[in-house]
Amino acid sequence: MMAISLRETSRANFLISFRDVFKFYSFLGIHSRRHKLFFLIALLPVFMAVIFKSSQIIYGQPRFSGLFIYSNMIMMFFLQFLILLLALFFGTSICREEIEGKTLPYIVTRPINKIAFILGKYVAYTLLVSLMVVFSLTLSFVIMNVNRLGDLGIYKVLVRDGGVLLLGIWCYAAFFTFLGVILKKAIFFGLIFSFGWENVIQYFPGKTQKLAIVHYLKSLLPPLSQEGFPFLLFRLEPTPPGEAVLILLGLMILFLALSCGLYSWKEFIIDSQ
Amino acid sequence: MTVVVQTEKLSKYYGNVLGLSDVSVSIEPGVVGLLGPNGAGKSTFLKLITGQLKPSLGRILVFGQRVWNNPVIYHQIGYCPEVDTFFEDLTGWQFLTQMLRLHHFSPQAAAKQAEEMLDFLHLSQDKDRLIRSYSRGMRQRLKIAQAIAHDPRLIILDEPLNGLDPLGRRKVIRLIRQMGEAGKTVIVSSHVLPEIEAMTKRIILIHQGKVFAQGNIHYIRELIDTHPHIISIKCDRVRELAAALVKEKEVIKVFFTPDPHEVQLETRQRDVFFERLQQLILDLHLEVEAITSPDDNLQAVFDYLIGER
Repeated sequence: MMAISLRETSRANFLISFRDVFKFYSFLGIHSRRHKLFFLIALLPVFMAVIFKSSQIIYGQPRFSGLFIYSNMIMMFFLQFLILLLALFFGTSICREEIEGKTLPYIVTRPINKIAFILGKYVAYTLLVSLMVVFSLTLSFVIMNVNRLGDLGIYKVLVRDGGVLLLGIWCYAAFFTFLGVILKKAIFFGLIFSFGWENVIQYFPGKTQKLAIVHYLKSLLPPLSQEGFPFLLFRLEPTPPGEAVLILLGLMILFLALSCGLYSWKEFIIDSQ
Repeated sequence: MTVVVQTEKLSKYYGNVLGLSDVSVSIEPGVVGLLGPNGAGKSTFLKLITGQLKPSLGRILVFGQRVWNNPVIYHQIGYCPEVDTFFEDLTGWQFLTQMLRLHHFSPQAAAKQAEEMLDFLHLSQDKDRLIRSYSRGMRQRLKIAQAIAHDPRLIILDEPLNGLDPLGRRKVIRLIRQMGEAGKTVIVSSHVLPEIEAMTKRIILIHQGKVFAQGNIHYIRELIDTHPHIISIKCDRVRELAAALVKEKEVIKVFFTPDPHEVQLETRQRDVFFERLQQLILDLHLEVEAITSPDDNLQAVFDYLIGER
């Protein structure tokens, strides 16, 4: 009886902590100046779309359709640059923000369960990044396909791409949360991972390419068209979509579980100066 | 009386560096001053009490419970950190209400409590300004506000008077005393003895990670009063003053410095000497530029006390 009661109290404390942490960091996320800058960065594809579309309109008779440019260039920019960058900065900040900003004492002296802290902040920040990306993706898509908006078939592409990017954001953010918990220079190593490892390994032949997260994300998309890009000799050897989704979700859960465990166990020392 | 904080052979190491060594203390309700020079281990001790750090050795109990990774107990603890950092993109009002929300206050209760606290610490007028635009004193008061707003039973204030103007200091000292009188346990750290003296008579002396002495402040005062103090006087006719000083029985040594307008002396009876010095200045019609006590700081006192033991 006593054990059940203690478990219930502990579960209630966890849920309340999660709720309060989520609300706090959602609030902070909206008010942060740094996050406003990231929102502008997230709008880069929209500027790209405006430029592409303007040039199509100005020069007329485009060689490639709007949907083709969207799928092969803008979507790739999202997949291979933007979501990595945003997930890196937001993911690593889940733990490092309080340490580097020396605001950790305000958090760790509150009656907040440590696992609830990591999960609450992860959900708040990842949701914020997801909203930024979905907004930017939708706007870019609409701009590039402004002459085909009545064609309902094209929206399937938007939904599929949005889903892949969201899956990517949540998986990468979990990995970068883990990096933030274990490493002091998480951003540095995160940059090496994002723009070194991920961008190189995915082009390796055979099973090696499966060591990159982006491989599973690309497996959910149709193969990249090489029309107009004959110099591209790399070939994706895709993982079946169902398996790819399961692996991405599995990685997300694994990195979050590791982050929560380590954060609960580890002590973080703040320099008083 | 109930013991609120109890430590037994508590030690903390940062790698090979000693933070705190073999500290055993029992703290009861009321105000307790934690006194020691910079780097003595005061902040480490306070961080251990608040569960921010894990003890390397020994044990720490707060309200009879372990404190590391025990968030349930944090409802009862309020902590004002030494570092001057905030969530700078928030206003004072937003910061305080959000901190209360993290204590699981409802939005209404948080707003009511924050309103009262900001008013109490004279921050109401500036509550809607961004914290980044606050003065040092305002930031310090806001830090104290977040530590006490949720009405904790144990309040831990790390150097709370830093950056406050004299009026602000007086108010905070009064507040600390009131909290102690109200039955709360308040642990205040400082490296300035008169600050602690103004708040409490119960002190813990900490130096090089060890508790050096604990008890009534009169004990340390007595020790300090026999500590030979060096006093420096800058005036127009130093040699004339020096001649007069050597005749005074409170003066042990008189010596000159490279500055031609400065004379230094050593005395064991500082208070008696200062009374006598006023008379000497008047008698000799001296134009005094400055009177300072170069070793009148806690580090010098500790160095002396350690030498004595």
